[in-house]
Amino acid sequence: MYRYDEFDRRFVDERVAEFRDQVERRLTGALNEAEFKPLRLMNGLYLQLHAYMLRVAIPYGTLNGRQMRMLAHIAETWDKGYGHFTTRQNIQYNWPKLKDVPDILEALATVEMHAIQTSGNCIRNITSDPFAGVAPEEIEDPRITAELLRQWSSLHPEFTYLGRKFKFAVTGSEHDRAAIKVHDIGIQIVRGEAGEVGYRVLVGGGMGRTPMIAKELRAFLPKADLLPYVEAILRVYNLHGRRDNKYKARIKILVHETGIDAFRDQVEREFATMDRAAVTAPEGEMERIAAYFAPPELTEKPSAPVAFERMKTLDPDFAQWVERNTSAHRVPGYVAATISLKPIGGVPGDATAEQMRAMADLAESYSVDEMRITHEQNVVLPHVALGDLYKVYRGLAAIGLEAPNKGLVTDIIACPGLDYCALATARSIPVAQAISKRFASNKRQREIGPLSIKISGCINACGHHHIGHIGILGLDKAGVENYQITLGGESTEDAALGQRLGPGFGYDELPDVIEKIVDIYLDLRQGRRETFLQTYRRVGMEPFKEALYATAD
Amino acid sequence: MAKEFKPSVVTANDLIEGDSVFLGALGWVRDIAEARVALSRDEAEVLEADGVAGEDANIVVGPYLIEVSVATGRPVPVLRRERIRVSGVPTIPFGVAAPAERRAA
Repeated sequence: MYRYDEFDRRFVDERVAEFRDQVERRLTGALNEAEFKPLRLMNGLYLQLHAYMLRVAIPYGTLNGRQMRMLAHIAETWDKGYGHFTTRQNIQYNWPKLKDVPDILEALATVEMHAIQTSGNCIRNITSDPFAGVAPEEIEDPRITAELLRQWSSLHPEFTYLGRKFKFAVTGSEHDRAAIKVHDIGIQIVRGEAGEVGYRVLVGGGMGRTPMIAKELRAFLPKADLLPYVEAILRVYNLHGRRDNKYKARIKILVHETGIDAFRDQVEREFATMDRAAVTAPEGEMERIAAYFAPPELTEKPSAPVAFERMKTLDPDFAQWVERNTSAHRVPGYVAATISLKPIGGVPGDATAEQMRAMADLAESYSVDEMRITHEQNVVLPHVALGDLYKVYRGLAAIGLEAPNKGLVTDIIACPGLDYCALATARSIPVAQAISKRFASNKRQREIGPLSIKISGCINACGHHHIGHIGILGLDKAGVENYQITLGGESTEDAALGQRLGPGFGYDELPDVIEKIVDIYLDLRQGRRETFLQTYRRVGMEPFKEALYATAD
Repeated sequence: MAKEFKPSVVTANDLIEGDSVFLGALGWVRDIAEARVALSRDEAEVLEADGVAGEDANIVVGPYLIEVSVATGRPVPVLRRERIRVSGVPTIPFGVAAPAERRAA
């Protein structure tokens, strides 16, 4: 499993000491807020509506039991006993006090964790596939590439003060579970004509107020060229990206305004003339990193053990959970089990310290001491033997996290919204809760089938509403919360931006509106196998528009 | 035409704790009921300047004026965002309270 090397340990320890000194100087007044703000942001510390907020990195969403226990310990010692897992595979604490943050960072460092690159205009923590190293169709574990990029980007002198934040995502599978098409740079591990492994490089995707689907910059990049090539991209962006207007400063705007072909010419020119050898990873480095991500040695087991099959028959709730929340594993007899952090009426992505410890116990006992955080705000136990699955399920039921709803209508992504966030214009969490309660019935959810609802409490789109099958964007209209609905968004290799349905709806109207949209889909679908997205793509916006606005005319 | 003036108080985040505070008669307070209320533009200017002084003195971060209604005697922010800030907590049960409430439901 991923671990620090000696350099990383020293780097993080030094950063903690440096930040402790900066906090002390802030508290004594030697630094004012204007001077301190960029320093705290470099260490993941925001100031939100009710309190400071600390965003902790979980590189590639991978963590072990000891690390999860530390997250629980921090929640109880310095926060209010819980944390919020985010759409970038991180965790946020909502209530830390400034004076305690150096202690929190020091505690994190003892388990090889930190809050570096979780904020500010730098290359942010790189995200990846929660099923990395597990998915049968995967070409190569994407975390190896992500870690190489992390080592290259941390404290990169040229890219520490970019015009705006910069996000990478890497997938090793054709089926994209990392939403690479809505990242500044999306990297897909692919095979070349001779079967050699390399990269497909996408650029200029993103959400926020100007959503864009990334465009292909290179169909195939030899593996060894990765660092010089992304350095060339960053150089072109750093040189030509706008700095006069933060809303136009992301690379997606530069790519859009330059045009992908002209942008590609600039990148290729830089790539051709730069000192590539100075940037290329030293020989053997990829192998060294790969060893950190070496797959656990799992012994093949029966694909349908008798006891497992019997429990599915005896406990139909378990059978439903298995059907929805487990995914194929490359080793026969194992699955990746998704722990839904979306219990009916719950706060999407929140987990209490007790729940974190219980998940750590389950990971240690039944998943080779490994967990993954997903960009859908759930947790994955990546290596569970089928024979252990019922014990895992019972363990989750004991902490209220046995919802069999992965990918269903109640598996809602929601940003913290106006309940926590200083930027928000409307609430997100209670909207998610109301919709979740409306669709509480498992039977009904299964009847509806795969359907993603994603909710953002402002135009910055942290709740990924642009790529929800149903997207909800909360705005403020003359002091009243108003929610715009988009339909047809998608986050995978088939990514699309949702299209606006029409005028927005009031807070109280939302559960009815969403239910109506779902009912229209159920009426229009050609059989149970046609998903919401497929139906929408076949029939378009009109039937939904008609049904929702006809009575209002 | 200039916007109609509404009674206002100054709010900010406490430097150390990070929570919402309000400028009162004798300094920064956590209960908006104890906040100084500006009833004219001139008073608001003075209040705002006192807020900035609090930031300069490293007591608070990001002071700004918020409009309030004083109909009930206790200042109540006009904007929902500020009403949520004044409450000091989210509008929903959170943390350890959240799952317990769901189980009871």
